[in-house]
Amino acid sequence: MATRSDVDLLEDLLALENRLLSAYEAALRREAIDVALGEMLRDHEQEHVRAIEQALRHAGRRSPRASVPSPDLTAALRSRESFARFARELEADAVASYAEAAAAIRNPRLRQPLGSIMTCEAAHEVALRQAAGDRVLVD
Amino acid sequence: MAPSLTRREALGGAAAALVLASCGGGDPPPSTGPQAGSGAALLGSLLALEHAVVAAYAACEDVLRGEVLRNTRAIAEQEREHVARLQGLIRDLGGDPPAGRSTAEYARTFPRLREPGDALAFAEDLEQRQVRAYLEALTELPDLELRNAAASIGADEGAQLAAVRVLQGLPAAQGPFVTGAL
Repeated sequence: MATRSDVDLLEDLLALENRLLSAYEAALRREAIDVALGEMLRDHEQEHVRAIEQALRHAGRRSPRASVPSPDLTAALRSRESFARFARELEADAVASYAEAAAAIRNPRLRQPLGSIMTCEAAHEVALRQAAGDRVLVD
Repeated sequence: MAPSLTRREALGGAAAALVLASCGGGDPPPSTGPQAGSGAALLGSLLALEHAVVAAYAACEDVLRGEVLRNTRAIAEQEREHVARLQGLIRDLGGDPPAGRSTAEYARTFPRLREPGDALAFAEDLEQRQVRAYLEALTELPDLELRNAAASIGADEGAQLAAVRVLQGLPAAQGPFVTGAL
């Protein structure tokens, strides 16, 4: 498998973050998530977007790719339960992507910051489990 | 704004510092085995901390009940899986994984846990330290496979930290960047 560049890794993370951000913004508009939880998750994702955009600018990339909204989002917004399930899957994807990127990225100064976003996304999964009424919060 | 410590935070922090000091991370490296710079010594320090945390969760069980106990048992099971994974990685590097200490040795370093709040504060501080340790390992481990393992376990630790916080009635994440504490 070809090794991906740091810019490729960061652009993929930015696309994921934009999907998460769009999802929480839509869920808040459609009341498909508890307001306090939705606002916290949205605000965190906004900070992550800023951080990744900044890293991309430092890497010399000034025009990040536009992200494509998930086609499953509309269906997920029908109820809080379906949105929580959808968001948990997105967060799980984000955790896996950050784990891969934090290990593989060539610039060692980016590994800890990417890891700190990874652990935040893992916390988001736990928050969504709690919101869904799961009795055990870790796998 | 100057940060202030609650009694529970102080209890957890001081106790976790004792646990760290006693978990074996300061032991001299073996004279034979993996090459210097292989990452085996760092993995050994992470393993020593995991052993101590497994013992700490066992001690916490004495004062926990119901769903909180169910959750901390699930976390402890994950920690035991981390122990096995780290042991395997160290052996793959030609090393000899450090053994844990006895229950009595660990118990001497643990705080007195009188109530669930004491146990959860202690657990939160240990999880914070584990998150920090794995994030630092991401920078220091020389090999991609080892960093992949550290990232994967670090993600588990992030979820465990969040779960322990939720069990205390706190938000799952303290902020957008979860860095742990030392």
